[in-house]
Amino acid sequence: MSQAKKKTFKIEPFKHKVEMDPKYAEKTWKILEDAIHEIYNHNASGLSFEELYRNAYNMVLHKYGEKLYSGLVNTMTQHMREIARNVEAAQGGLFLEELDSKWREHNKSLQMIRDILMYMDRTYVNNFNKTPVHELGLNLWRDNIVRSPKIRDRLLDTLLDLVHRERTGEVINRGLMRNITKMLVDLGPTVYQEDFERPFLDAASEFYRLESQQFIETSDCADYLRKAEKRLNEEIDRVTHYLDPKSEAKITSVVEREVIGNRMKLLVEMDNSGLVSMLIDDKYDDLGRMYNLFRRVSTGLQTIREVMTGHLRDTGRQLVLDPERLKDPVEFVQRLLDEKDKYDKIIQLSFSNDKTFQNALNSSFEFFINLNARSPEFISLFVDDKLRKGLKGVSEEDVESVLDKVMMLFRYLQEKDVFEKYYKQHLAKRLLSGRTVSDDAERSLIVKLKTECGYQFTSKLEGMFTDMKTSRDTMQGFNATLAGSESNEGPTLAVQVLTTGSWPTQSGARCNMPREIFEMCNKFKQYYLSTHTGRRLTWQTNMGTADLKATFGNGNKHELNVSTYQMCILCLFNIADHLTYREIEQATDIPAPDLKRSLQSLACVKGKNVLRKEPMSKDISEDDVFLFNDKFSSKFYKVKISTVVAQKESEPEKQETRQKVEEDRKPQIEAAIVRIMKARRLLDHNNIISEVTKQLQARFLPNPAVIKKRIESLIEREFLERDRGDRKLYRYLA
Amino acid sequence: MCEFSRQEFIEGLQMLGVDSIDKLKYLLPSLRAELKDEHKFRDIYNFAFGWAKEKGQKSLALDTALGMWRLLFKERPWPLVELWCQFLQAKHNKAISKDTWSQLFEFSRIIDPSVSNYDSEGAWPYLIDEFVEYLRENQSLEACTSGA
Repeated sequence: MSQAKKKTFKIEPFKHKVEMDPKYAEKTWKILEDAIHEIYNHNASGLSFEELYRNAYNMVLHKYGEKLYSGLVNTMTQHMREIARNVEAAQGGLFLEELDSKWREHNKSLQMIRDILMYMDRTYVNNFNKTPVHELGLNLWRDNIVRSPKIRDRLLDTLLDLVHRERTGEVINRGLMRNITKMLVDLGPTVYQEDFERPFLDAASEFYRLESQQFIETSDCADYLRKAEKRLNEEIDRVTHYLDPKSEAKITSVVEREVIGNRMKLLVEMDNSGLVSMLIDDKYDDLGRMYNLFRRVSTGLQTIREVMTGHLRDTGRQLVLDPERLKDPVEFVQRLLDEKDKYDKIIQLSFSNDKTFQNALNSSFEFFINLNARSPEFISLFVDDKLRKGLKGVSEEDVESVLDKVMMLFRYLQEKDVFEKYYKQHLAKRLLSGRTVSDDAERSLIVKLKTECGYQFTSKLEGMFTDMKTSRDTMQGFNATLAGSESNEGPTLAVQVLTTGSWPTQSGARCNMPREIFEMCNKFKQYYLSTHTGRRLTWQTNMGTADLKATFGNGNKHELNVSTYQMCILCLFNIADHLTYREIEQATDIPAPDLKRSLQSLACVKGKNVLRKEPMSKDISEDDVFLFNDKFSSKFYKVKISTVVAQKESEPEKQETRQKVEEDRKPQIEAAIVRIMKARRLLDHNNIISEVTKQLQARFLPNPAVIKKRIESLIEREFLERDRGDRKLYRYLA
Repeated sequence: MCEFSRQEFIEGLQMLGVDSIDKLKYLLPSLRAELKDEHKFRDIYNFAFGWAKEKGQKSLALDTALGMWRLLFKERPWPLVELWCQFLQAKHNKAISKDTWSQLFEFSRIIDPSVSNYDSEGAWPYLIDEFVEYLRENQSLEACTSGA
């Protein structure tokens, strides 16, 4: 059976407006007002939340929001004032506590009031752009209490006083402090900053200015730094415990400025305890502390770096120019290495491997090493010493580390070509006298030099090694042919064939060799030239050595290790017992300076005097007479008389080497000029100078005057010409 | 050195329109006057180098150079010419290169006799740098002796 549609049930609104009459509104307000009083008097338990909410709701609904709001403002203000009076009345230490407890109560009350008035908050407040209840409560608190004239200054003074006391060692109530500062933060972004933070920072600034002044007059540098670090940590700690986190950066920058920034220069320059003393005494902890503190300030690290560089350059300069030190080249270089190690350690342990400090160290070393023109020679002598004996029995790793250190010094040299010249000389002596501790070590260093300077630098050096090897093979072949032929009598010859051009040039080597030697040498020459036609061999008699078996009058037999020249001289005494200088000179035809030197080693050195000289003076004169020393004795069977060992050059030798280097530089400069001009075609004078300098700086620093002379030479030879219009321009002539 | 070939002689005089000694005499003052012109002087000065040196040599012998300088600078006076010659004889004593020769003229033209405006970075030949140093040493010496 069909049913009729049911009518939807509707609730009809009141047909008439329910007006709240003013008297009723007044009554409602009264209820709420009382409630607020109760709340502030801690009597909230007796109130009905629902009823109060409804009352507030009704007032707002019936357009009495304004009355409600303004009533709220008045009532709360009233209470604020009363609370202010209470707080003002508090004595001494109770002041903050009173403020704190009242604040906490206020917050609770405010919350309740807000909950009750939530409808107003959401509607009336929004529509009429009024301050919301919670915020209103904070503002009223701020204006009537915290910023009330009687409380404001007292509050600030109390807080600052507590901070000051804590700084001077007293213990204070940190929890209370935290609550108060949090209150200030809650009251609005600027309240904390203006009412507390700014004066706090000013007070801190003044405190630290005075304290640091006092410290600096009474403490030494390390002590001061420790105190500074302590204060800095304290302030950070203070912030963590009872200040707003945003204050940390601000207070630390105050401390940094007053305690570090403004005192930096004084600290660093303190006599006997400043940065320089710390560096000298390796005070790693203190230096590390200084680094960490100074790094916080904008020019802090720069200050440390500058003083360190200045000190390093002075020390370096003294080291390098001290005449005492220059007497022993190996010691000289070792001292440089020690200094580098010292600073490497400081930078690693105290300056956290800071690259800018590394760079400062490098530039200082580069500066003072080049103050002494003999540095390249000395470094080569150091290497020579190590490779001849210093590295005997040392592990492979340690060898590598020593060589790496040498390379490090090498890199600082401006005149690398001078080093190359000496290194070649010293290497030649090492190779020819067979006095190298480890072939591997020699090779390793060559590889390092090649990596640093390129193939050209080391190609000749490698040539020297190749010659040594080839000579060994040649000798094998030669000895084989000897064994085959006649009797094996006669001296044993060991020949090294050196390719001219790879080896350092020597000149004026000549002498008359003993007959047996001479014959053997010819045999070798024949053998060699039979397999290498078109070559020319010249005996380098100033570079060889010989082992002689000698029998003396007392029956003593010794094996003498001598130079080739000395051998020629001694063999003369197989026929004669005494000979004059002139006779020896004539017979051997050895150049005078070499002859004198050789005779001196044979006759004037204690323990090696296989010859006697009359008169017994130390120097060789042309009227001297030499006799075989029958009475020679030595506790060693093998006696070494020759000195083919690398030594620091004498003054004239040094000049000669320097001249050779300057001569070698001329073609290199010319080649650079030609290279540059070929590419640029037209270039002015100053630019040529700077380009040439740039190109050559890996080897040496060319003198602009020398470059100019080379340019003129090239103009003369018509490689370049001056431009007709501008005489400062040069043109490349194809 | 200092040679004219027959051909050069004849062609040169032809260009001048001279066929007798009198005509040459007549022309000489005006030719001399031409030397007052800086460009003309430069041309002749630079020509003189090639003309005065020995055939096959690249540089000019010192004695010849000194003679040529004294001759040329009579026409166009340069106060430092004697000092320059003195300097060369004392300190250099070698032949003069073409570049040095030509640059000396520029030097006499540009740099004032007290060498106050001399620029040591000015791409001057090395010999001229040394000359300036020589002048300055002697100037200070003079100052010392004159003061004493």
